[in-house]
Amino acid sequence: MFTMRTLKTSEAAALLNVSPNTLRAWERRFGYPKPQRSAGRHRLYTHGEVAALRDALQQGLSISSAVSRAREALSTDTHALVGALAAFELDRADSAMESALALRSLERSVEEVLLPSLDELGERYGTDSAPWAFAARWADGWLRRAQRLAPPPVRRLAILVGDATRNELDPDALAVRAFELFCGRSGARVMALPVGGVSGLSDVVESLSPDAVVIAGGHLADDDVALWAYRVRAAAGPLPMALFRRAQHGAKVRTTATRILPDTPFGAHRHLLALIDDRQTTRIHEIAALSVLDGDVERREARA
Amino acid sequence: MRRLRALRPVELDERGLEVVSFCGHCAMQPESVRQAQRSRVCGHCGLGLVLQATVDLAPSRGEPFLVVDATLSVCAVSAAAEELLGIDETHAVNKHIADFLVPADANAPSAENLLALLVEVAGGCGEPRMTVVRPRQEFGVRFRARIGPCGPPHAALLVLT
Repeated sequence: MFTMRTLKTSEAAALLNVSPNTLRAWERRFGYPKPQRSAGRHRLYTHGEVAALRDALQQGLSISSAVSRAREALSTDTHALVGALAAFELDRADSAMESALALRSLERSVEEVLLPSLDELGERYGTDSAPWAFAARWADGWLRRAQRLAPPPVRRLAILVGDATRNELDPDALAVRAFELFCGRSGARVMALPVGGVSGLSDVVESLSPDAVVIAGGHLADDDVALWAYRVRAAAGPLPMALFRRAQHGAKVRTTATRILPDTPFGAHRHLLALIDDRQTTRIHEIAALSVLDGDVERREARA
Repeated sequence: MRRLRALRPVELDERGLEVVSFCGHCAMQPESVRQAQRSRVCGHCGLGLVLQATVDLAPSRGEPFLVVDATLSVCAVSAAAEELLGIDETHAVNKHIADFLVPADANAPSAENLLALLVEVAGGCGEPRMTVVRPRQEFGVRFRARIGPCGPPHAALLVLT
């Protein structure tokens, strides 16, 4: 499960019979093919995207029209998933996601196929309907399964997520699950707790020792969120705190220096990791500056 | 030897007419036939596909042009046409040609034939013809346009002069 063939820039360029510079120029002008980045920040193209473009170029009249055709070919996965869920066919829904994963990374499959399909079903039937409930439960199960299959944490990084969504049928709940999944796949240890429960929270916080806290979802009232955030801060001390999918509901949280994360799970996870990295870098600089000061003091004392 | 290298084999289309290859974005001709056969992507700018049209129709370097398919959807806009018409190819593609260019004189007998002419030549037949067009929503600006078949695949080439 979740295997996807990726190509380096030179390999993708060779498959398309163009130079790597041309491929990068296409990325700037057409936004396609859209590479991911490896751990070393090198571009990694999905084979499916490149192959779709190669086929489209054979019959195209311009790069733009070929890109448009390749994008259309890839969007069929969304139609397939919407169709399967609308027909209540779980196996077909699983197959649609498998097809999506053959062409894209897991992150992009979730953001470009799974979440848009659910949005479409929500708009079509309403989020209080039985078809929505069926689809949301399936998607929640799929995301949780992916979370279980994610590699174990490799970074010394822990994130506490305060889940302020109603339940798994809350339209924001799937985005929150996706956000947790992406953070987990980035090597972080992620723990999600309902904001409604504060009893024994300090024990959990001490055990996890989080580097950041995210309050996700807009269903619960500000007072509940404020109480939960207060308990977390009391147990863990000052921590970067961020909001995900909460600000757009018009809700306000009475905390200081709270960051608002982008609405997309992938954007939010990237933003949060950058925030934590910045904080850790600042802390290292502070420690280095302190040790330099200590050294100066020791040298002065020795001279004296 | 240098002179021989500069020679290009004459390319003929299925009707036996001499055709030239050019980039659908910068209008440059490919450096060699071999290069054009290896990849359809222009080796000069990398932003267009190599197309073919008859010698009297093909655009020269810097001439603005558009490529339209049989459904009258814009398929390519050259760099010069982007500048001239103030449009971006990435936004213009798949839109109807009438969103950008219309007959200069709506009352002229040739006006009603513009779209029919484009459909006809986009099918791969018909001789290059001249007409007059103007940008949509703009008055007092006219362009002479030569229209004829290009490809592959079959499409209509509209060169503004």
